[in-house]
Amino acid sequence: MKQWIRWSGLAGFMAVFGLIVAFFMLAAGPLIKSSIEYFGSELAGAKVSLEEVNLQFSPFGIEMQQLQVADAEQPMENLLQFDTAVAELELAPLLLGKSIVRELSVDNLQFNTPRTESGALEKVVEEEPEQEKTETAAEEPSLAQLPSVDDILARESLITEQAGREAQQAFAERKQQIEQAAAAVPDADALARYQRELKALTSGDIKSLDDFNQRKKKFEQLKKQFTQDKKAVAAAKQAIAEARTDLSDKLSALKAAPGQDLASIQDKYQLNASGATNVTALLFGDEAGQWAEKTLYWYEKIKPYLASDESDGNESEAEESQPQRGSGRFIHFPSDDPWPEFLIRKAHLSAPMLGGQMLIEATDITHQQAVLGRPTLVVVQGNALTDIQDLTLEATLDHRQAPGKDSVTLDMKDWNLKGVNLGVAGAEIESALVQVQGLALVSGDQLQAKADAQLGQTQFAGSGKTQFAKEMLRALASIDRFDINAGAKGDITSPEVTFGSDLDRKLNKAFKQRLKQKQGELEDKLQARLDDKMQSYLGDYADDLKALNQLDGSLDEKTQQLTDMAEKQLDDYQAQQKAKADKELKKKEKELENKLNDKLKSFF
Amino acid sequence: MLTLLAKLFKALNSESSPGQIALAFSLAVIIGLTPFTSLHNILVLLLAFIIRVNLSAFFLGVAVFSGIGYLIDPLSASLGETILNNASLYDSWTQLYQNDFWRMMAFNNTLVMGGFTLALIAFIPVFIVSRMLIVMYRDKLLAWVNKLKIVQALKAGKFYNIYQSLAN
Repeated sequence: MKQWIRWSGLAGFMAVFGLIVAFFMLAAGPLIKSSIEYFGSELAGAKVSLEEVNLQFSPFGIEMQQLQVADAEQPMENLLQFDTAVAELELAPLLLGKSIVRELSVDNLQFNTPRTESGALEKVVEEEPEQEKTETAAEEPSLAQLPSVDDILARESLITEQAGREAQQAFAERKQQIEQAAAAVPDADALARYQRELKALTSGDIKSLDDFNQRKKKFEQLKKQFTQDKKAVAAAKQAIAEARTDLSDKLSALKAAPGQDLASIQDKYQLNASGATNVTALLFGDEAGQWAEKTLYWYEKIKPYLASDESDGNESEAEESQPQRGSGRFIHFPSDDPWPEFLIRKAHLSAPMLGGQMLIEATDITHQQAVLGRPTLVVVQGNALTDIQDLTLEATLDHRQAPGKDSVTLDMKDWNLKGVNLGVAGAEIESALVQVQGLALVSGDQLQAKADAQLGQTQFAGSGKTQFAKEMLRALASIDRFDINAGAKGDITSPEVTFGSDLDRKLNKAFKQRLKQKQGELEDKLQARLDDKMQSYLGDYADDLKALNQLDGSLDEKTQQLTDMAEKQLDDYQAQQKAKADKELKKKEKELENKLNDKLKSFF
Repeated sequence: MLTLLAKLFKALNSESSPGQIALAFSLAVIIGLTPFTSLHNILVLLLAFIIRVNLSAFFLGVAVFSGIGYLIDPLSASLGETILNNASLYDSWTQLYQNDFWRMMAFNNTLVMGGFTLALIAFIPVFIVSRMLIVMYRDKLLAWVNKLKIVQALKAGKFYNIYQSLAN
């Protein structure tokens, strides 16, 4: 047996092992520090710096001092920083390369703190986002101001203008049609010529049958001409009738257009009493927008590390088909204590905020929730906050199955709101006591959120010098409590945000009185300007429409004249022919009678 | 590497027991066919240090079998996958999974399980075959090898100098 045991080997092994452990202990701190700085910078897109990392042995873990994560968009600001973080690590999983933190404590976590030196990484900054920012900024001021009459008229696509243009076009077309039709109608000279020709045909005796036939032929030609002329007159009358109907419709539409424009402008610019919903969005849209933007920023940062459910499955499939050389893959079995690659079992963070401390408790933070079998829970509670009596936010980030389902509830009690600029007419909420309840659900990329806020004991103030500002302040002064409902729905990167409030109704009521006069003035001005526009189209054509009516009347006369001429002269000619025939017959009868008498006298 | 080879030849030509050299190869199979950083390899290493096996043969074996292990890596992982996903063994694996020691051993890693299984299968055959080859070498080949011209030439070179320095 002695021959098989080598005690010196044991000593050698212990020595080698001891050296490895000693090297690890000495090098671990600096190695962890540079790893956090390198990978953190890659992740944040800005400098990440740590003052010191120390290895602890009882309990086993690491202590980090003074972490600063610079803001990639504002390099002179820190996105976050903390004084001290202590992470207790579990040794057994660590030997397998799995980082399982039993408990993480972070003290004095702060957001958006100033930096003494730039935190930008040395790389070219893309200019595109800045352009977008400029465009957004350029749009914002227009929301803060109500436009003038000129602005409104210049900005709006007016029905009056359109109706005017349509009337103008229709008149030009109709005028051309009537002129074409009228050109075929006989004028006064032509009618006089017809009279003369008729007289020549019907006066004097018909000398012979040829004479009769010639007259008859000419008469037939005239009659044919009359028929054609009557048709031309009828066509002209038809054109006039159609033009009159069309133009009357167009002019009626033009007359009604200013009223429609005014109604549309009133509705759009919320000048009447029914439009205060837009005021709510103006009052709180910016504030809510900023909070939503911050929340979404952090959510977007965190989500890729939570959404391992989708990628995990894919990775597993990929690994099954092509196992990684030299490492294989871990197959997990049911357990009360699974070991994901990375896990923080419990985290306590304290952040000075809102004049007090925000205490953040999080459990089961991992990118492999499917392995752990539990969702990540986060509870944020306000402690001794200056303006908020009680603040609780609870988040459940469940990415065990795809699509991930995240939910956040917010409960805020007695928030003493002070000096909130409303962004309209220099008005601000001087003070209010606010209660807020909110719920947000994210499933995959779809967001569904709603928040209700009750504002009580509201006091408004304002420094606006304009009439509108004064009126606004008077209207607000009569409101001592109101509710706000906000909702967001749709794609998480661009949700459709809605605001509702009974402030609308209350402000409506107050505004109804205060704005009545102002609104009346503005509406009168708008009405006058729109009427001017209408008249500029209408004025020219009213006379022309009258002329059309006169032309129509003269055509009626011409039709009658032509009809009378044709019928009357034709009757006279027939009578003349009959009289001549009778006269000839009587003459022949008389001659026969005389001849017969002469013959009878010669017999006796 | 030359030193390691020289040491191996010294061991082969010395009075070291063939079993000690053969056991060194067998232990090297385990480290070679499984991921080097696995915890069980520390135990194998400890065994190699404590048991009087030939360390030169052991380290040379680790180098050779690690190369083989890398080549058959997909086969090992696939075998591990099959074993770990075997329905009849599911309860056993689940039971082992509850114990931190076994999880530290990374038994649920496909490459560890596959490689270790192959190493266990190969352990005894490697021991027997290598032992037989060493005995055969000493009985029949040693005298013949020493007479070869190439060996004579080698004896005049650097390798033989190292060998000699170790032998003395």
